[in-house]
Amino acid sequence: MNRSTLTLTLAGSLATALASVAFAAPLPAEKMVGNEKCYGIALKGQNDCAAGAGTTCAGTSTMDYQGNSWKAVPAGTCTSMNVDGHKGMLEPMKG
Amino acid sequence: MTASKTQAYALPARAGLGLKPEHYETVLANRPDVGFFEVHAENYMGAGGPPHRYLEAITELYPLSLHGVGLSIGAAHELDKAHLKRLRGLIDRYRPQSFSEHLAWSTHDTGFLNDLLPLPYTPETLARVIDHVDETQQALGRRLLLENPSTYVLFADSTIDEVDFLATIAERTGCGLLLDVNNVMVSAVNHRLDAATYIDRFPVELVGEIHLAGYDETVDDAGDRLLIDAHGTAVKSDVVALYQHTLARSGPLPTLIEWDNDVPDFATLQAEAARADAMLAAEALRRNGQRIRAA
Amino acid sequence: MTMDLAASQTAFADALLHADRPVPDGITTARGEADAARFAVYRNNVFVGLTKALAQRFPVTERLVGTQFFVAMARAYAQDHKPASPLIIEYGGDFPDFIASFQPASKLAYLPDVARIEAAWMRAYHAADATPLDLAVLAAVAPERLADLRLVAHPSTGLIRSGYPVGSIWSAHQLETVTPITDWRPQDVLVVRPEMTVNIHILPSQDAVFAACLFDGATLGAAAEAALTEAPAFDFGAALMGLVSLGAFRALQPDEGNVP
Repeated sequence: MNRSTLTLTLAGSLATALASVAFAAPLPAEKMVGNEKCYGIALKGQNDCAAGAGTTCAGTSTMDYQGNSWKAVPAGTCTSMNVDGHKGMLEPMKG
Repeated sequence: MTASKTQAYALPARAGLGLKPEHYETVLANRPDVGFFEVHAENYMGAGGPPHRYLEAITELYPLSLHGVGLSIGAAHELDKAHLKRLRGLIDRYRPQSFSEHLAWSTHDTGFLNDLLPLPYTPETLARVIDHVDETQQALGRRLLLENPSTYVLFADSTIDEVDFLATIAERTGCGLLLDVNNVMVSAVNHRLDAATYIDRFPVELVGEIHLAGYDETVDDAGDRLLIDAHGTAVKSDVVALYQHTLARSGPLPTLIEWDNDVPDFATLQAEAARADAMLAAEALRRNGQRIRAA
Repeated sequence: MTMDLAASQTAFADALLHADRPVPDGITTARGEADAARFAVYRNNVFVGLTKALAQRFPVTERLVGTQFFVAMARAYAQDHKPASPLIIEYGGDFPDFIASFQPASKLAYLPDVARIEAAWMRAYHAADATPLDLAVLAAVAPERLADLRLVAHPSTGLIRSGYPVGSIWSAHQLETVTPITDWRPQDVLVVRPEMTVNIHILPSQDAVFAACLFDGATLGAAAEAALTEAPAFDFGAALMGLVSLGAFRALQPDEGNVP
């Protein structure tokens, strides 16, 4: 696309998009931010409680798996996620 | 309501609680009667977001204790200047009533080791820690409280008693001390020492804050009792008794309930704080009674 | 024999990070002898602390593979990836890349991208606060300047371009009961926190190239041409306005003017 055509195309396209908003609903700008219905698909997310372990000054008596010899069999929900018709598989991991 | 941050430059002699993200909303909505809140400094070193928004709102209502977990004051290598700068930024922003760190190390060439590791108590390490406390207080522009550690092993090289080690650091640097009563119990049981004797020898006049927490218990390879500073339960009864013994010597002091793992609902934390508050009030009454009888 | 402090800490750290090493010299107990179970408390604290931090940052990844597999994978990562600083809130930023190279999980081709959404979620959560670019500012740009304009991404913005429906997989795992994904096709996911809530959006597929170019600093003109080359259905105005309305940008590039 040559330069002037590009400029015209972009400007026209943006003007059309902006105009559609102006006519559809004269929302204040701050309401536009994050307005899920406008664009894309908004996914309902986790809440802030999952904000991470962070740094702690405590120790733990939970035991680490290190030293246990075990094999991981397919587990978790990956087995129900369909990948091109195949069930998700984890390979055995040697401890 | 509790003292606002513009008032006293010290924590009140009340029970305080660790502030956890899952309780931000509860605290702001209910404004519970809690003496102060404590946060781990490193969890507020992100650039922005909800943690800062909540901490700002909560420090408008409650005194704040800023507790560092990653400065590695006991490290052989130099202090991390970038980390000192981050701490200074937090202190300037939130003006906490108290700032504390640990007598421990946690960084090495391989990176941050994410645990509070023990030090041999020798003249060499004493000199190192004194230098680091001096540097920290200089960089932060304020006094630091240094906390006694929970330890699981001893060093054959150690020649200085832990209480003497801490007292000497405080004397040389002017820093205060944070007395973790649970840590005293953990280390005393682990090293076959008497916890009450440790408290009796501790320079309580330098203590700016007390910590209480729950330990877990297991055994070592010889079948000896091994306590772990786990912060995942209520304070154990022997630690409550040791706290009582401490208060009788020290008088009422700001007392934090630490519960960092398997964090319960806020009401459970408040019940723990209420128990400590009742003991603090009883000690204050006892002292008043003594003064009145003496007069 | 007295070891100097630096050597003593090097020996301690070395034994800490390698479970097969003996308790270092000079570490003892009240009984006067070394005790492996006691030294193991420190070793355990390091690894459980790090794997727990990863589990909290990557809860969907953990659900996908199950706790036992996740802990083993997290431990393998932690063995060679110590936090660079005491900021555990930043730990695990490159865990998704590690997962991508982790052979036992290689059959779960979508796993690294799901983890990338979770890594981006935490980055967005702690990112600097900034007021997003206002549509009115964009509307005020002179038409002839549009093609050369560059936008500054919002500090919280992250884009995950995947060959798998990772947005749907992530979303399905926010619920207690996970339902299988029926519509198995590639998705591009935008992570952004314009205010105090981290938002996750699946972008219209024809707009992802455009978004990626803009986040990389391309001009609107160059980004639009790249998008049109890949997807003739690309609608510049709708895409730009859409991304701006989600809060994906902070401002126009200062050298392009119009910035307060």
